[in-house]
Amino acid sequence: MNTAASTAVSPAQQRGVLKRILRLFASQEAVLLLALVALFVIVGSINSRFIAERNLYSIFLGNAYIAVAAIGMSMVIISGNIDISVGSLIGVLATISGSMAVAGYPLVLCWLVPVLAGVLISSFTGYIVAYLKIPSIVVSLGMLSILKGGLIAVTSGEWITDLPEGYALAQLKPLGVPLPIIFMIVLTILAALWMRFSNTGRAIYAVGGNAEAARLSGISKQRTIMKVFAIHGGFIGIAAVLFATQLSVIQSTVPPNLELTIITASVVGGVSILGGTGTVVGSTLAAILLAAIGSSLIFVSVSPYWLRSVQGVLILLTVLADLYRRKRQRKQGSG
Amino acid sequence: MFKQLGISVAIAGLLMGVAQTSHAARWDGADDLPVSPLACGDEEGGAMAAAMPYDGGMAMNPPDKAGEEITLVDVPKLIGIGYFAATTEGMRQAAEELGNVKVKTDGPTEANIDDQITFLDNFITQGVDGLLFAANDPVAIAPVLRTALKKGVHVVGYDANSEPDAREWFVNQAEFNGIAKSMVDSIVAEIGEDGKFAIVTSTFTTPNQARWIAEMQAYQEKCFPNAEWLETVEAQEDNILSFNQANTLINKYGEDLQGLLGMTSVATPASAEAVTQAGLCGEVAVVGLATPNAMKPYVASDCVKSVVLWNPVDLGYAAVHVMRAVVDGKFAPGATEVSAGRLGTLSVVNGSEVLLGAPYVFNKDNINDFDF
Repeated sequence: MNTAASTAVSPAQQRGVLKRILRLFASQEAVLLLALVALFVIVGSINSRFIAERNLYSIFLGNAYIAVAAIGMSMVIISGNIDISVGSLIGVLATISGSMAVAGYPLVLCWLVPVLAGVLISSFTGYIVAYLKIPSIVVSLGMLSILKGGLIAVTSGEWITDLPEGYALAQLKPLGVPLPIIFMIVLTILAALWMRFSNTGRAIYAVGGNAEAARLSGISKQRTIMKVFAIHGGFIGIAAVLFATQLSVIQSTVPPNLELTIITASVVGGVSILGGTGTVVGSTLAAILLAAIGSSLIFVSVSPYWLRSVQGVLILLTVLADLYRRKRQRKQGSG
Repeated sequence: MFKQLGISVAIAGLLMGVAQTSHAARWDGADDLPVSPLACGDEEGGAMAAAMPYDGGMAMNPPDKAGEEITLVDVPKLIGIGYFAATTEGMRQAAEELGNVKVKTDGPTEANIDDQITFLDNFITQGVDGLLFAANDPVAIAPVLRTALKKGVHVVGYDANSEPDAREWFVNQAEFNGIAKSMVDSIVAEIGEDGKFAIVTSTFTTPNQARWIAEMQAYQEKCFPNAEWLETVEAQEDNILSFNQANTLINKYGEDLQGLLGMTSVATPASAEAVTQAGLCGEVAVVGLATPNAMKPYVASDCVKSVVLWNPVDLGYAAVHVMRAVVDGKFAPGATEVSAGRLGTLSVVNGSEVLLGAPYVFNKDNINDFDF
């Protein structure tokens, strides 16, 4: 891409230009934003309805809960762990919320209890990971089965209908903007600031990046991981409420592959699967990008099978880029 | 470096290149099996599959109880859900009407094949005249049913089949071409014979949905050649994804889209929800396969006029009538039809299956009579 434009300049100059461009776009967030803009421009020029206001709303609105869940997931992955039970947990919390609403509890409780329950359940996972030192993939695999199986056993797959009026939180539009979009943006900004500036936020990076160094600098790995999982549970709870209140019926089973979608958003967002690096801004942008790609495939009449391929390509590219970045850092460190 | 090059190439390439080359032919089932569309509208007949020889099993030397009172046990996939409560109710109605049948329903509380086999085993040991079942697994359930046949117990299935030789007859709730006709007729009734519609399905590889869609295409091309089928999209069995996909179709086609067909009980309510939230009720029709409970809000608000499925009460009712006819010797291998009380005469298809009839269309008038 750059070679064609710079045939006239000397190799040295070329490197300089490249470096500057690199520095400008080095962050995953900038790359994602660029990709998102490119996508809207390209597909919008093929079919202008793609960038019509209502379609943009659809893309953001229908996927905001994934972005919110990916915030918590990013924190967990940055701390050097993973949680593959999120999809099941969202299913369980959504069912709790809907069942309470049908049973006639005050709406505020129907929205808050799932968040608290999310914190509790996820803290339990965190406790086993942090204090009993069992790898998080194993613990969350167990939780996945417990939650998924338990949910089907309790609901026998029956849907929750007859939800009371006013319950549909995610369908509210204060100031004309759908509430899930507001949640997504505000929570992303708050979480990003917290990760950047608070002691705990920075401890998460330290624990995931270099646990030994973190210990030596007085950070408690156990307590940090506990906190991460508790906060993650809160985000899952909010995501579950948005998920539950989006439609007038609740599926009360676990949406297939939801955990993979959420983890994909985090990883494509630049969160290193090895822990230690990444931001929640990246994961939110990635969640939007993935949703926009899915929508665009329909707009340009391409088989949705490609969506999975595109997701796979994005994951591999991001992981390769992460590897490359680490290698370069190591070189710089030693040289 | 790798990253921005890679990501931009990937996205640009996949979207532009693929868009140009494969202006994807509308996906139409594509399972390469032959289709057999039924006759258009209210006409009878149409392409009937060639008659197959009887391929069911036989009860060995059953006691002759023609006209005498018989005791039946019904073991559905599971008990405690609305759907099988409805089949049980149909069985009760048939037993009451016949007067010489006692039927009780008992089964696992989870759709578990091992538990179901245990139940069947126990009832065979206790001794009954006939077993009715809806199999959790067509292959795994076969041995215990064959044991029943060997002991002279009559076996009739409904809702979910076993291997044919493990039972005598199976009451088939709906054939692919019947569902297809019902779906297309219902949507055309709302959008007109030259209307434009799109489909939301689970995945392109789900066998049932693929067959339905292939049959729908054949029927639509034969009966409503001017209707335009715009596109079929996948939405897994995922509520919100179905909602998003339906929204994307609405946004993509704008006023060109007059109808949405949902192929699963997840896709249909989600499509109705998308139309409702977009404020397009009355402008975009929604028709689909779905269970009544999930569709009640949308039918009540008049956003959805027809929900296609079968009537589980009739299904249970027919199963008991078939069993009674078998015991009475009125319905033997080779027969082409059987009389089933208020449902009239039901025809035999696929060798040893009894077809319940045309699918049932739920609408504002009848949907509240059902709870499943």
